Amino acid sequence: MTQRLPVTIEKWSLWLFPAAATLLIPIAILGVFFWVPTDAGLGLSQRIFYFHVPCAMASFASYAAAGLCGIAYLRSSASEWDHASNAAVGTGMLFGSLVLITGSIWARTAWGTWWTWDARLTTFLILWLVFASYTILRALGRGNDMTPRYAAVLAIVGAMNIPLVMVATKLWRTIHPQVIGNPKGGIDDPRMLATLGLGMVAILSLCVWFWALRSRILRVEEKLAVLETSRP
Amino acid sequence: MGAIVWKDLLSELRSRDTVMSLFVLGVLVLVIFQFALNLTPTETRRLAPGMLWTAIVISSSLAIGRTLISEREAGCLGALVIAPIDRGSIFIAKLVVNLVLLSVFEITLLPVFALMSDVSILAVWPQLAVVMFAGTLGLAAVGTLFALAAAGTRARETMLPLIALPLEIPLVLAAVQCTEAVLAGASLTALGAWANLLFAFDALFVAVGWLAFEFVAVE
Repeated sequence: MTQRLPVTIEKWSLWLFPAAATLLIPIAILGVFFWVPTDAGLGLSQRIFYFHVPCAMASFASYAAAGLCGIAYLRSSASEWDHASNAAVGTGMLFGSLVLITGSIWARTAWGTWWTWDARLTTFLILWLVFASYTILRALGRGNDMTPRYAAVLAIVGAMNIPLVMVATKLWRTIHPQVIGNPKGGIDDPRMLATLGLGMVAILSLCVWFWALRSRILRVEEKLAVLETSRP
Repeated sequence: MGAIVWKDLLSELRSRDTVMSLFVLGVLVLVIFQFALNLTPTETRRLAPGMLWTAIVISSSLAIGRTLISEREAGCLGALVIAPIDRGSIFIAKLVVNLVLLSVFEITLLPVFALMSDVSILAVWPQLAVVMFAGTLGLAAVGTLFALAAAGTRARETMLPLIALPLEIPLVLAAVQCTEAVLAGASLTALGAWANLLFAFDALFVAVGWLAFEFVAVE
């Protein structure tokens, strides 16, 4: 039953989350551009935050899911868990890349530079690079039966980096804004909080939808490969 | 476990392939830095710890997988896997072998590094030895864990740096900071958070490698 769990989640995800994302993303965009007040300190550039932070949460959730599915795959050797892990890395890379891009755009406006070796930026880049090497491992290891196992170990090791990225602003001196969980200078306007929350739900819905699609594609590709090799 | 370590070290002692290629590659990297960056003597001394660890990381990532890849090529990996020993012990044995090989490489590289960079290492050798050992242990742990993964791909040896280098960035950061402090005369107790990061990285990857090797060493 455990190996059917990712397939069951995928089936539910393919109707629930597309509906949620289709409904919420336009509302979130309207909220960001027409409803939420402009930040007093950072001005208009601050609005990118309502895309940047949800993309960061989506990437963390994806990488964490990849690690957990990797553990499940190593325990069960069920290919459903391997496909779930592989698909989660895919969505993690997509939203992780969006984090780096939106962050750079904002940094250019706020700090006058596209990039700086700040603790939060550096640790996030390391996380992204680890999963980039996962993607290369899967591409170059295609055809090797052991590649899913190696990839699962790499996903687990990569996911262990997530807590380091999240606490980087607390462990080291950093210029990266800390607006969530910061009693000294976080956001407190209810409209900003509401827009951020809506953005989180919208982007996470999109992330799960993409994950479900990718996971299904990988399962179908595996079945197709089996059928082709068994063809007389 | 002792038998695996002795076998690999004896094989290396007879051929000296791995240590020789590590040494030459390490020296080449140090030389290329001089020409590529066009450094003054003062800049060289300031950047020396970074250049040293870059040379070690690049050389080790290309050569460290040999102990496992050669087992697979000779068909010995299957025998190791079905032997009545815990696979975590195979990881520890291979880790010890890689650690010894990298340590020999670094002992031969350090005098060349000291000459090229005009830094004094004799006065601080005990502290430097501890920092070098801690950094090398982390490199060996990551490389040993993922060597088999790299060998199973079309890119083979070039895959290992792609997997290992992103994971090794925190280790390299900490090792460079600790080496810089030690070469400036700091004691080990004064290294602070960077030393903690170095030792934590080692502990984490040795533990993860010991646990995860069960799943990757399958023939």
